[in-house]
Amino acid sequence: MLACASAVPFVFPERYLITQMTVFFIWATVVTQWNLVLGVGGIFSLAQMALFACGSYGTAMLGYYFHWPLWLAMPASAVLALAVSMLIGLACLRLKGPYVALLTLAIAQVIYLLIINDTECFTTNEGGCMPLFGGVRGIGKFGDLGFRDLFGSKFIVANYFLGLALLATAFAFSVIVIRGPLGLAFRALRDNPGYAMSRGIGQFKYQLWIFALSAFFTALAGAVYAADFRVVGPTIFSFTLLLFLLSMIVVGGMGSVWGPLVGAVVLMVADEGFKEFQDWRALGMGLILPLFVVLLPGGLTGLFGRGHAKSATATKVRAVANGKPPRGSLT
Amino acid sequence: MDVFTQIIVSGLTLGAMYAISTVGLSLVYGSLNMLNMAHGGILTIGGYAAYAVSQQWGWPPVFGFLAALVVGAAVGLLIFVATAWPLLSSKNFETNIFIATIGVGAVFENIVLKLFGPYAKPQPLNIAGGIKIGAVLVPYQNISILVVAVVMMILVALLLQRSRTGRAIRATAQNRDAARLMGVNVVRVYAQVLALSGALAAVSGVMISSLATLSPTMGGDPMLKAFIICVVAGLGNTYGAVAAAVVIGLIEASTQYVLGVRFGFALLLLLVIAVLIWRPSGIFGKSRVVRL
Repeated sequence: MLACASAVPFVFPERYLITQMTVFFIWATVVTQWNLVLGVGGIFSLAQMALFACGSYGTAMLGYYFHWPLWLAMPASAVLALAVSMLIGLACLRLKGPYVALLTLAIAQVIYLLIINDTECFTTNEGGCMPLFGGVRGIGKFGDLGFRDLFGSKFIVANYFLGLALLATAFAFSVIVIRGPLGLAFRALRDNPGYAMSRGIGQFKYQLWIFALSAFFTALAGAVYAADFRVVGPTIFSFTLLLFLLSMIVVGGMGSVWGPLVGAVVLMVADEGFKEFQDWRALGMGLILPLFVVLLPGGLTGLFGRGHAKSATATKVRAVANGKPPRGSLT
Repeated sequence: MDVFTQIIVSGLTLGAMYAISTVGLSLVYGSLNMLNMAHGGILTIGGYAAYAVSQQWGWPPVFGFLAALVVGAAVGLLIFVATAWPLLSSKNFETNIFIATIGVGAVFENIVLKLFGPYAKPQPLNIAGGIKIGAVLVPYQNISILVVAVVMMILVALLLQRSRTGRAIRATAQNRDAARLMGVNVVRVYAQVLALSGALAAVSGVMISSLATLSPTMGGDPMLKAFIICVVAGLGNTYGAVAAAVVIGLIEASTQYVLGVRFGFALLLLLVIAVLIWRPSGIFGKSRVVRL
């Protein structure tokens, strides 16, 4: 698949396709990470876009105010988002599910309001007054990755590969989490919480881990977004975007490995197909959520049956969580 | 002293409006374990229903108010039939209903946008003039909001405490299975709760829009505040929610006066986080022993 994706810009060199694919890589990354938090960790987080903004605003501001090269600013802002998510996690994750949803939503909303209501001039540039976070207009002119100088008009292909690398890394990370110890811990907590907890699997600890690590990749996606679009504005907090991304997870299938990717592909293509009906876009997005939750709760990947490997691990974990030793162990 | 009166008046008005919309949310969470993210949408629809009846049809304002009540209840019922009912037996009800109602809320917002356009409109249910307390002019509008809110609160409390329906609602909230075994029609109780909550949300939408303006997105902010109030009081605790709403209205009014409008909400949020670290299930919430 990676090879196929790498071949795309050479087989279909249309500019529009390549830029749209880059956008797809960014959203797909956000969605795979959100899926980890929501579907695997069971955390009702609505602060994902705030963490994404942390990455893109961090990159933009480090570039704009301190003239950091973006190659440095991008990982730095991702680390910053990691720290921010730790703070949010410490405040929210001790609470029960719905409390987490409301607090994270409120945190995202407050950040948004503080950004757009900020009208005091922090600096002035040729465009006039510029608030610290760019206000409604956002931040631009913070430099780029140097692809334009290196590749000339082919820079969009370079952005494409940057996005692809991002998605590949984030996806690999999500597979490791779902199939690895963290995923097992959460599955154990779901199947038999009492036994899991008495074996030292604390929910808070693992939730904080998954929340913080996925925040890192979410913010990295935000940083790539900043580098790709070369302008960052408060539109990334918009509710429509949140809805669009959430629909991807729900359509694809929450908690599964491939679900978010499938959902991202389906919704990006559908969005392209319904370009002419722009007015109805948000309405359609809104309808998708209840329709899928009610009629197809497993999403599209749930429709085509569970993967063989997944059900095998699930049985194993259930056996362990129920206190039956796996075959061949010494007890 | 005048400043003080001013803060009290606007704080109480805010608190009254918040209380009305919060009670609905709290009832729904208390009995169904359902976070209704479409609550803001009902608020908006209520405001516009009053506008449509009293402005576009030219009927007397009282009918606008009643129309909001009826439309709100109908919309609440619609949410129950379309999302909550089919999901009731699903495994992750809380997550699923949460996601589904986010979508429903977006649909409501867009329907209003399509019908009435994106521009802000004044709410015609407005009473001009006011009385003077000291040097402060207290608008009749604020007073009527307070009176309506108190009357509605009393009605809701009577309904919950004295009527058969109310007893069924409270029984279901306490223990769903026990209520069902005692012959309570749980599904009907749920439908009633959502209709009641919808009607309350619509009324609060009319009030909020009469102080500010009508716009398709007007529901989002009050809904978020109602949620915060619910969380502070402890989700599902209806009487605690009313007290918290009044306190938070007063706090918001005073922070807005002291620090400016910009930081009112941010400060409120910090306060809430502090409260939740101190008491993770809200001020009036009882920490329950979880049995596995």
